[in-house]
Amino acid sequence: MIKLIIKRLLVAIPTLIVIIAFVFILMRLAPGGPFTNERALPPEIEKNIQAAYNLDKSIPEQFLIYVSNITKGDFGPSFKYKDFTVNELILSGFPVSLTLGLSSIIVALFLGVFLGTVAGIKRNTYFDHIIMSVSLIGICVPSFVLAPILSLFFGLYLGLLPISGWNNGNILNLILPITALSLPQIAVISRMMRASTIETLNSNFIKTARSKGLSQKIIIRKHVLRESILPIIDYLAPASAGLMTGSIIIEQIFGLPGIGRYFVVGALQRDYTLVSGVMILYATLLIILILFSDILRAFLDPRVKLK
Amino acid sequence: MNEILKVTNLSVRFDTPEGLFSAVKNISFDINEGKCLGIVGESGSGKTQTFFSITGLLSNNGACDGSALFKGINLLGKDSKKISKLRGKEIGFIFQDPMTSLTPHMKIGNQMIEALIYHEKTGKREALKKAKDILSIVRMPRIENIMQKYPHELSGGMKQRVMIGISLMCNPSLIIADEPTTALDVTTQKDILNIFNELKLNKNITIALISHDIGVIAEVSDDIMVMNEGKLIEKGSCNQILKEPKKEYTKHLLSCIPEWLN
Amino acid sequence: MNFDLLDRERKEKILKSALSVRGRSLWSDARRRLFKNKAAVTGLIILSIILLFSLFGPLFLQYKFDQTNWDTIYQAPNLQNGHYFGTDGNGRDLLVRILYGGRLSLTIGVIATLVSVFIGVTYGTISGYLGGKIDIVMMRIVEILYAMPYLIFVIILMVVFGRNIYLLFIAIGAVEWLTMARIVRGQTISLKEKEFIETSKALGQSTFLIIVKHIIPNLAGPIIVYITLMVPAVIILESFLSFLGLGVQEPLTSWGVLISEGSRDMETAWWLLIFPGTFMVLTLASLNFIGDGLRDALDPKEY
Ligand SMILES: Nc1ncnc2c1ncn2[C@@H]1O[C@H](COP(=O)(O)OP(=O)(O)O)[C@@H](O)[C@H]1O
Ligand SMILES: [Mg+2]
Repeated sequence: MIKLIIKRLLVAIPTLIVIIAFVFILMRLAPGGPFTNERALPPEIEKNIQAAYNLDKSIPEQFLIYVSNITKGDFGPSFKYKDFTVNELILSGFPVSLTLGLSSIIVALFLGVFLGTVAGIKRNTYFDHIIMSVSLIGICVPSFVLAPILSLFFGLYLGLLPISGWNNGNILNLILPITALSLPQIAVISRMMRASTIETLNSNFIKTARSKGLSQKIIIRKHVLRESILPIIDYLAPASAGLMTGSIIIEQIFGLPGIGRYFVVGALQRDYTLVSGVMILYATLLIILILFSDILRAFLDPRVKLK
Repeated sequence: MNEILKVTNLSVRFDTPEGLFSAVKNISFDINEGKCLGIVGESGSGKTQTFFSITGLLSNNGACDGSALFKGINLLGKDSKKISKLRGKEIGFIFQDPMTSLTPHMKIGNQMIEALIYHEKTGKREALKKAKDILSIVRMPRIENIMQKYPHELSGGMKQRVMIGISLMCNPSLIIADEPTTALDVTTQKDILNIFNELKLNKNITIALISHDIGVIAEVSDDIMVMNEGKLIEKGSCNQILKEPKKEYTKHLLSCIPEWLN
Repeated sequence: MNFDLLDRERKEKILKSALSVRGRSLWSDARRRLFKNKAAVTGLIILSIILLFSLFGPLFLQYKFDQTNWDTIYQAPNLQNGHYFGTDGNGRDLLVRILYGGRLSLTIGVIATLVSVFIGVTYGTISGYLGGKIDIVMMRIVEILYAMPYLIFVIILMVVFGRNIYLLFIAIGAVEWLTMARIVRGQTISLKEKEFIETSKALGQSTFLIIVKHIIPNLAGPIIVYITLMVPAVIILESFLSFLGLGVQEPLTSWGVLISEGSRDMETAWWLLIFPGTFMVLTLASLNFIGDGLRDALDPKEY
């Protein structure tokens, strides 16, 4: 197991460096970017940037300084917000985005796995058809269509839930964003889970378990689930990536002060340092997640360890 | 003679995208207690589905009718509670492909004791002890060690021994072995067939041995039935079928292994 | 956010079968099975109608997509004056704009597909051909890229290089090649192991050339299949960017732009959200049914 972790880390670290290099190169290429000379910035910011990026050094040196700053967790000063560093902006948005993302992934996993498993077991019944039709809606109606409709209906029309604002993480304020964010993932996960449940149910070892005369409940719990959930474990990282991008729009629509919102504002205003900081943060989080899902997979599937 | 399993007018159909497909067509046969019935026929002739239907293992798109009396109880009847009790406890099933027939994420020991604990409420320690005894019957090497292993760590022959062991755990009176040696190499084949012979002679276990290879069938069977395209071609004692086959199809099957006629 | 209608496994299954189907009769078998699938046929019909309308509809309509008219602002759908779907806040005809938006999304879909097939085939062939450690590393990279929020890459590209529609084509294509690369790699490896390569080698051809010769002629099927899989991703991605204000710019339009404008005016002019939304959801649903149908048609073993 430790070997596996080390092996994965050996891939993860270079990956991160490549991503950082990619961002660095983009910053250099960007017209009006932090590394070019011709730009019109307020003098205070200009001074901060000169200091932060050591523009007098050679390019490889600049890159090394950039990398070492990032490993220290320092993303530099913001390009547009005068008195803030990127770190301060990210830190202020992080709790919001983390709460939103974590709750959504948990909701999506539990509901998706549960609904998909039941649909797979009861396939071609009414229950199955209903779940699959609803999940088709979840897939075909993007969250930027779904979210306005949800807030119109539950917020303005029924007046049940607040349609915008963070309100210190009040659960009522979170219901609509979490629903809009997790619904597409519930749809995908339940479809994957249904397919993999059906495939597992058709496999030979389930015939063996059946021939033992065990009850359906025991067969599902002890023989099917551990196997059918494996594709979902592999999907964990892509799902999180989906949630990260989704949260960009959801935070925008529901007025939540998370990282995604800074990202959009940064992108629209060409705040290069902010955008690249968020990018690197997302990439780091995802690489950690991939590592985590690899380990979880090795834990659940004894066949992995041999390889 | 008293028959342990009496099958009458059994048919199996599948609902496929191309329409209804009849895999087994109205066959009747019985197996006498303590004997081995060999079922032979080329692949696709409906051997497996015949026994899947009897043991309730048909796929979702399959349906069957007819009757199958096991010790007087109709396995295709309505009393599903009684029937599922019989399955696993009184009837053991060994599958064709040992490579994929064991649950990949469960240790061998746990897979073996599962049915015993479920059906007879045996304690875990006792069940494990019984599993070891059974593994020595099927001549498994390094038993202590094997019990802690996962299926992918075992060879094909070892997995098939485990499968036989699983089917024996609850002291069944009937074992259905579906091509138990097809996926194995020749020496392991011999070993496995010897185990069947021993089970029959020493433990008085009735065996239904399915194979497309009439040579395998001849090693163990007392009676033989020949199937083709879902129909029963002929049945009779081992000697009669091998020495004086009545039907052309049987002769054709026998001619494929000429050394057997000498 | 979810840019693919099909999950990765289903996508790979379809493409793999599409790449390994050889010969005319197998394709016509697959086509026959596809046409037996009611959901897929419905999807195909709806999609064809949308496609034909988008391509030729504007020719028969009396309004231009960028023709503003201050006398017809926010008009509800009306059969008499030819604004069948109503007008927007600038008095432009909504139907024409929807059809133009459809053209744009479909065009991006096709071009992005070609870009991604090109990258995917090249990468996959090289990885499979070289094998060994290089192959492992290359595939691990694919694995990691799969999990990256590629939309964020695209946004950064848009930020750095400006909001350019051609860049959008390339950016989408450049992030969508992963599945193709994996499939082609698999094919390359199995081709490499085949015996006939040995004999051709004896004739003095290099293995690499042989593999390329075998893969290229069989690409037509997978490309068509890939387009159906890619168009929804493009539609959603483009709409997403447009919604954020980073995508298609005025006076050009896309379904995403229309939807985002529509959701702003939802309370005064419902048609501005409902019609583009319906077009988009119908297209996505049709493509989903076609994708499912393709999988069953190309890989009919499942009961
Ligand atoms: N789930 C199923 N749906 C449709 N046809 C099936 C199914 N399972 C088996 N069959 C068909 O039933 C026939 C008999 O199969 P089987 O009993 O497994 O043959 P064998 O004699 O080789 O054991 C075969 O033609 C097979 O294709
Ligand atoms: Mg069989």
